[in-house]
Amino acid sequence: MEIPADEIRGLANDVNSRLDGSLISLFACDERTRSREYVLRYVFCSRESGVLIVLITRIHEDAGQFISIADQVHAAALYEREIHDLFGLVPIGHPNAVPLVFHGNWPQGNHPLRKDFGKSHRPSFVDEDVPFQTIAGEGVYEIPVGPVHAGVIEPGHFRFSLAGEPIQNLEAQLFFTHKGIEKLCEGMSFERGFYLSERISGDETFTNSMAYSMAVEEIADVRIPLRGEYLRVFYAELERLTCHMGDLAGICLDVAYGFGAFQFRLLRNWCYQLADLLTGSRFLRSVNIPGGVRIDGIPGKESEILKRLSALKRELEDTAEIVRRQTILTDRIENTGVLAKKTAFDLNGVGPGARASGIPFDVRKTRPYGAYGRLSFDVPVMTGGDVSCRMKVKLEECRQSIGLMVQVIEGLPAGPSSVAIETLPARQSAFGITESPRGENVHWIMTGENGIIARYKVRTPSFCNWPVLCHAVQGNIVPDFPLINKSFNLSYAGNDL
Amino acid sequence: MTQSYPSGQLDTSMFRGTPEIDPTTCDRCGTCVDRCPTGAIVRDGDDHPIGINYDTCIFCSLCVEICPTGAAHHSPAFELAKKTRGELRLTPVVVEERDLPGLDYAVLENLLQNKIKHIFGRSLHIREVDSGSCNACDLEINALNNSVNDLTRLGMHFVASPRHADMLLVTGTATRNMELALVKTLNATPEPKLVVAVGACACSGGIFRDSYATRNGIDAIVPVDVYIPGCPPRPQAILYGIMLALDRI
Repeated sequence: MEIPADEIRGLANDVNSRLDGSLISLFACDERTRSREYVLRYVFCSRESGVLIVLITRIHEDAGQFISIADQVHAAALYEREIHDLFGLVPIGHPNAVPLVFHGNWPQGNHPLRKDFGKSHRPSFVDEDVPFQTIAGEGVYEIPVGPVHAGVIEPGHFRFSLAGEPIQNLEAQLFFTHKGIEKLCEGMSFERGFYLSERISGDETFTNSMAYSMAVEEIADVRIPLRGEYLRVFYAELERLTCHMGDLAGICLDVAYGFGAFQFRLLRNWCYQLADLLTGSRFLRSVNIPGGVRIDGIPGKESEILKRLSALKRELEDTAEIVRRQTILTDRIENTGVLAKKTAFDLNGVGPGARASGIPFDVRKTRPYGAYGRLSFDVPVMTGGDVSCRMKVKLEECRQSIGLMVQVIEGLPAGPSSVAIETLPARQSAFGITESPRGENVHWIMTGENGIIARYKVRTPSFCNWPVLCHAVQGNIVPDFPLINKSFNLSYAGNDL
Repeated sequence: MTQSYPSGQLDTSMFRGTPEIDPTTCDRCGTCVDRCPTGAIVRDGDDHPIGINYDTCIFCSLCVEICPTGAAHHSPAFELAKKTRGELRLTPVVVEERDLPGLDYAVLENLLQNKIKHIFGRSLHIREVDSGSCNACDLEINALNNSVNDLTRLGMHFVASPRHADMLLVTGTATRNMELALVKTLNATPEPKLVVAVGACACSGGIFRDSYATRNGIDAIVPVDVYIPGCPPRPQAILYGIMLALDRI
């Protein structure tokens, strides 16, 4: 619903605190050529009922600023900084309005998501300092880590402030892998934009392409065939399984527990091999399509799939049984990286990282999409909030994913897996919201003329969880940081776009 | 459980593989040229066949699906790495002029080809740098370390610091925010060294090319010895590319 821009603070606070609405996205659109305004959308989702409430405000092109709500609705903080960098609108009253997306190499006054900024325009480099929060005191020092990290992993910069061993503060500077995905998509056909949505984050390929496709399908007012819905559940759960295996391996690796790490890596490779067998792509690329599932992959292979899933389950249980008894692991992961429930709630922490801290929200249950409403599964929730709880939640989610995949194979309806979508109506918008392995994943598309994408807003779960992680490390020692990091396993590319 | 590739054969029957265009059955309609998401399919002049620039191909297989004559098809080939970018392409490429953020950082040229290969042939230390990828290539590089692919049986392993490295494996498009880090990492790597571009993003920018925040290939700012196409290339394809860089193929 549309509201006047100067009433946003009161209303946003009301929706957030009294209507149980978590802020799940906040973004701007440049509509100056149509109405000489920027349009801001504040998207809230009730955690109980899954109902979406969208508050829309309009900022005149000459105003150049909007009222910040970040001091009351804390989850808004990063979104407002993002709007500042990409659109040039200043959030008045923001507690920490420093640049987010560009790192001191970007000249002032250039705002890429404005429509008059050329997609391929590369301004020359400047060299400015980016301020980090500092802590003063006796014996306080800083440790900078990154952007190039010691392992084979994405880039990001972490600035630790410590007094002795325990971490006092962590500030993460991300957006090193910022490629301009949202801008690139503008003006693309929706067919081409699909391939971009697959490549937002490598191990969330399927869920991102699914969210994109769901938004397109809603705009086209198309219901995909039931077989397609079931197949999407199958492949989405396969992706969840793959991702979680990697997380479990990473946690074992970071405490130098080699056996656990290599076992889980082996299981992850079995998941990739299954994906290869069925679709020819280890990452499930080109499997989805707006309109359904392009590569079915299942016919004739049902018994092989069930055999492999059964072997996977057995190996997973055996490994978990051995791993949980190892003090080399339990000594490190218990009571480490505790995330308080209130922090997770205020910052809209999502996914298994938040579910381990007592926030029971899962899109598949609260806003069921596809065939999830027809299948039975549980969503594990724990309250300890430490690395050990996150590991247990992920292990249980693996078991549930295998159960869901088996249900799909045993109950897969016949028929086509997709319908063709030729064109899209102009100036329509829709959300596509899925539960990625890392949590709630929110995509929004607005179409232009002739099936072109006019605006594509992506908010992957990692964008919400990075600030949450920065709180979870406080008070822990520096060597535990990689462990806490892996226990959340957030995507840098999913955050940076 | 460990695969014997590269000494043994690999079962490629289930690979989606590489899209190829058969010039004998292609009727030059150009449907694939118009709809390729990255513009990797090109006409080499009016009379010449349509072909694919593999440094830009993201292996989405849309061309195979929409080809009216079936000329576009999958081949199981995965050993696609080449030492020069031109060998991956049908049409010539214009690499951007080398310009770096600030004049303090010199890019060193790699000249000691034969000597390097002799030194590195027995044991290789690899440093991986993600200069702005989606992480799929990094995950496939990570998969080289698992029990199935096991890079260490070939005398190669990953190191934590560029100062210990013989080779840089680079993924991603060299985004604006990572340019400095990539060049600094290259400079921190002692000579002799090799640089391998892994994946479509590192070869040509992939699907992210021509953006305000990316380069069209890392060879715009660092010298590259081997280009490995793919999106992402599977672990064996990456292994092939590393071996090619060492002349062990």
